[in-house]
Amino acid sequence: MIQAKDLTVRIGERTILNHIDLVIQPEKWTCLVGPNGAGKTTFLRALLGVLPYSGSLTEGGVEVFHSQKRNVAFVPQQPQIPLGMSVTEYVMMGRAKKDGWGRESIAGRRFVHKVLEQTQLYGLHNQHVSRLSGGEMQRALIARALAQEPEVILLDEPTSALDLHHQISTLNNIELLKERGVTIISTMHDITLAAMYAEEIVVMQDGNVLLHGPAHSVIHSSELREAFDNRINVFTLDSGRPVIVAAKENLI
Amino acid sequence: MKNQLNEDHLGRIWNWRITMVAGLILLSVALLGVSFGPIGLSFPKIIKTLLGGSNGLQGQERVLLLQLRLPRVILAALVGAALSTSGAVYQTVFRNPLADPYLLGAASGAGLGATLAITSSGGNVYGLLPIFSFVGGILAVLTTFFISGKFFAEPNSLLLSGIAVGSFGTAVQTYLQQRHSSALRPVYSWILGELTVANWQVVKWSSLYIISSILILISVSKQLDGLMLSDEESFSLGINPNKLRIIAVAAATLATATAVAASGLIGFVGIVVPHLVRGITHRVTNRSLATIAMAGAAFLVLADLGARTLLSPAELPIGVITAFVGAPFFLVVLRKRRVTQ
Repeated sequence: MIQAKDLTVRIGERTILNHIDLVIQPEKWTCLVGPNGAGKTTFLRALLGVLPYSGSLTEGGVEVFHSQKRNVAFVPQQPQIPLGMSVTEYVMMGRAKKDGWGRESIAGRRFVHKVLEQTQLYGLHNQHVSRLSGGEMQRALIARALAQEPEVILLDEPTSALDLHHQISTLNNIELLKERGVTIISTMHDITLAAMYAEEIVVMQDGNVLLHGPAHSVIHSSELREAFDNRINVFTLDSGRPVIVAAKENLI
Repeated sequence: MKNQLNEDHLGRIWNWRITMVAGLILLSVALLGVSFGPIGLSFPKIIKTLLGGSNGLQGQERVLLLQLRLPRVILAALVGAALSTSGAVYQTVFRNPLADPYLLGAASGAGLGATLAITSSGGNVYGLLPIFSFVGGILAVLTTFFISGKFFAEPNSLLLSGIAVGSFGTAVQTYLQQRHSSALRPVYSWILGELTVANWQVVKWSSLYIISSILILISVSKQLDGLMLSDEESFSLGINPNKLRIIAVAAATLATATAVAASGLIGFVGIVVPHLVRGITHRVTNRSLATIAMAGAAFLVLADLGARTLLSPAELPIGVITAFVGAPFFLVVLRKRRVTQ
């Protein structure tokens, strides 16, 4: 279980997360939504353990700051792409936590091979990551995270800059982790997709948590509209699936 | 038909046989280095002498091998290994393929130190020069760290500080040269790099720093690959990026400052050799550091052989050879890499 108690993150003079209390259940997909500047990415970075904070942020009862004992995979929105590195080398780095840096065990190589197939990267395994398309790079990032066999995965806007087809295939790849009992925490701008895949949704605004609960109840809540200044509309399809779109403003 | 793969098709990230090949090349090149010169020495006799057997070289030839050529070849190998390894590490740490060992001001600091030694000691320059240039190089890098503020919070700020410190050092150096015009020639000769001062004493102290620095870098080489990612990504893979950067830059700087103090400014090795090894092996992993060290050593031994023999009995500055041979070779590899990609 991940628990934030009175969690506050300040960067310089700015308070990015403001006395947050939150409990995230293990082995579920929790999605953080909210407008830009709500503090979603900062929460992920704090949870990764790279940002100092006040209050408490624990995973399994252990404070996360600078804790290297955990196996947490991180998929950034804008990854640093290493020049000249092949897809295999890139995905193989995911084994560092399990096998040790630079160890190429047979079991590890088998696992990477399986992951490359799952993420449809076979055939591209000798390609340089710097030459992958946006969708392929996203798959390589997910493949590295899969190879890591993490307990928790943090994804920062995993579908941004992807077309609809690649958005769905990326999210399906992330779902593979759920089947393995991994706790998934992601930020996502597309609330319709968040509602389709995540079990829990956390609505954030100005460094605060406005609402946290099961996806279907959060989607129809007034707090969600409030977070976006009532500039969204929620429709329900015949299938019962919610669709969230920006409300058109009448400027005249 | 589906393109089936198994784990054997993935290819190994690094194959140690490549390192062994580099080692064999270095040994062969070193043998060439001690054998060729104005007076040729035969391979079998060299080997017998080095192994301490009878029927080895005698008299002047023995002195030539043991007191002149061997320390010179070993020093060239040490300097080549130091510069190429440091260059590879700097390129990883700063995520910049054009980073070279002189990036953080080591070159201009050492240059200023050497100029001070030459201008302040009259004719007796070699007693003070290595110490002054070593201290100058280390002080310049420390100044770079100091003025960049938060050590590695932003690698680019460190890089820019290095450029500022480098420019300042060069400016002071130029001013001193203007004030002491007699120092121009020895300083210029030192800037182009020279191994003529090689003796066992220089080999002794420089090997201590260079070998220990390279061993430290090889011991962290596997983790260094993680620094090619963002800090968050490398942290999630079990690395403390700032700690690793400090270890890597400190060891690379110590090796560079020692190499500069022992042999002057030899350019191009730190950029050419890492790219050559990566281009030939098609691997960017830092597990190639041992291979890069040996390739750098072989490259500089060969360059020194060229410097000694091309205009014999006169000597060319070794920096001229490294640039003259290195630049076209480098371009060929770059072109080949672009075609393969």
